[in-house]
Amino acid sequence: MQQHRTLILRGNRFLGSALVERGLLSTGDLEKANGKFMDAIQSSDLKRASILSSLLFDLKTLDESALLEFLVEEEKLGLVDLNYSELDSLRPMGIEADLCWATSTIPFDRIGDFQMVATCYYLSQPVVKHWEELFDSNIIWYATSTLSLTRALERIEEIHEAEDAAAEND
Amino acid sequence: MSQKILILDDDSDFNSLLTDIFEQADYDVTSLTDPEKALESFKANTYDLVVTDHKMPEMTGAEFMKLIKKDKPEVPVIMVSGYLENETIRELIRDGVGGVFLKPLNIFSLLERTSELIEECAQEEAPVEPSDAGEAVVEESDASEISFRSYPCLSGASVAFAERISNVANFESTLSLIGESGIHYRTICEDIRLLGESEDDEFIYLSSGSFSPEQTLSLIQQVEDKGAKRVTCVILDSEKMNDAQKVTATELAKRTGAFEGMSLRTIFCVNGDLDSLFDAGMIDENLYILMGTAEVTVPPLRKCDADIEVMAQQLVASAAQKRAWPSIPRIDRAARDLLRKQPWAGNFKELSDTVDRIIAANPGASIEHSDVREALKVEPAADIRSLLKTHLSGEQVDLVRAALILSESDVDEVAAVLGAQAESIQPLVN
Repeated sequence: MQQHRTLILRGNRFLGSALVERGLLSTGDLEKANGKFMDAIQSSDLKRASILSSLLFDLKTLDESALLEFLVEEEKLGLVDLNYSELDSLRPMGIEADLCWATSTIPFDRIGDFQMVATCYYLSQPVVKHWEELFDSNIIWYATSTLSLTRALERIEEIHEAEDAAAEND
Repeated sequence: MSQKILILDDDSDFNSLLTDIFEQADYDVTSLTDPEKALESFKANTYDLVVTDHKMPEMTGAEFMKLIKKDKPEVPVIMVSGYLENETIRELIRDGVGGVFLKPLNIFSLLERTSELIEECAQEEAPVEPSDAGEAVVEESDASEISFRSYPCLSGASVAFAERISNVANFESTLSLIGESGIHYRTICEDIRLLGESEDDEFIYLSSGSFSPEQTLSLIQQVEDKGAKRVTCVILDSEKMNDAQKVTATELAKRTGAFEGMSLRTIFCVNGDLDSLFDAGMIDENLYILMGTAEVTVPPLRKCDADIEVMAQQLVASAAQKRAWPSIPRIDRAARDLLRKQPWAGNFKELSDTVDRIIAANPGASIEHSDVREALKVEPAADIRSLLKTHLSGEQVDLVRAALILSESDVDEVAAVLGAQAESIQPLVN
């Protein structure tokens, strides 16, 4: 995760500002979430370093359904529940699960030239930019809930671990 | 956004003069010569102040004032007249006149009193404790209610900026103003202070060239002793902070260390965007996140072209007032156009310097295209010299501080090492 430290910092800073700018969060609540975020960063617990998680689960000052509704209504994103998606290894695309954890984003399907990507961080411009550069902008974005994303990433990790185990047996 | 003034004077020449005076001072003026029409306009519109002549054939100014005070007693009235009996003046005062000015007018006093009356009226109207939170929010978010001094708000960029500042003025802990060099951050911070809800807020300004924890604590103590309940520390040129200052700034923003438990807020004024500063290693992770909690981008002057001429005219008025000139030179249309077309890379500072040069050349009653053109002809070498001088004076302070640390605060030793007199070192130490 350390290699994604700058992206984590930047992605979270922009997400926080975007939530405030769009009226979904107060500055005071963001300040509290930033404090928790910096604690996680400085304890090198980068997997836990997420302003969104702090807001949703620790501070409970952001309503995820309101955020998802905003993404669907205002940003015109599709909504996906990854629990119903078949997931494959990300390694053929050269992507490790760490990057997905760092950006709360996961590529989950492909249609022709277009990669379908689900994210909880669509309002964070550095996150969107990073993934668009990876896929030459050929992305169809979807919003998803943090629980759906977390479960999907755990499944991806299981797939990767199974690949590692198979490689060791060979 | 401008404040609205109704002028009533049956003498069209004098009416026109009054209109010019108030328009130049950036008021939105409605001027009428007929008292009946003025009454209609007063009832149909919202004015911040009324200026009326006293001696008019159809109705005296005093009668006019009584009529409008019946309708909206809170709107202040200024009376202008050629001659008035003392008894009449006393009556006017009894009836609630805000000011009486005799011709020939002292323009500065007239404008000063106008501004005072409007401000007093706004303070009286402002709800001390809004009983309905919903109403208070509507007022805050309505740009037309904002009294804004840093920009006249005639362009989309400055109006959007004013609205954003209005929304964040009551920030709780940190705010970053992100802009370019030459931006008038102090005036913007003054706007934030005025827009804030708390009357017991005091602002202190820290220059990245010199502030230290001791100086900051001392300044905070001073304003707290004067009754400030909360202190807002404004760090100017935040991108130039040295390592020790960054630690102080972080402690200030987080209210930890020497500042633990204090009622503080911090405003970072930054020339350049936070990501570039972070990438260049000029701010650490802590400051990057702290400064990014609430950030407002300050529009550069080139994006506020409709504001430039009014800002220039305000600077001219201020310079003329300082010199006690009897009248304010007016910038003519061609000169205004020329000012608007400049790129203003140095933003407000460059505009202010340009106006200073125009005024220094003593332009007379009207500032013309040629006056502006001459003032804009600045030798590049002079600018580079001044930039270098500013840079070196900042470096000088850092160098002296470093030497003091090495010599364990022995000023004489520092003076000897640097080849300077101890007396010249002492002010930098302070």
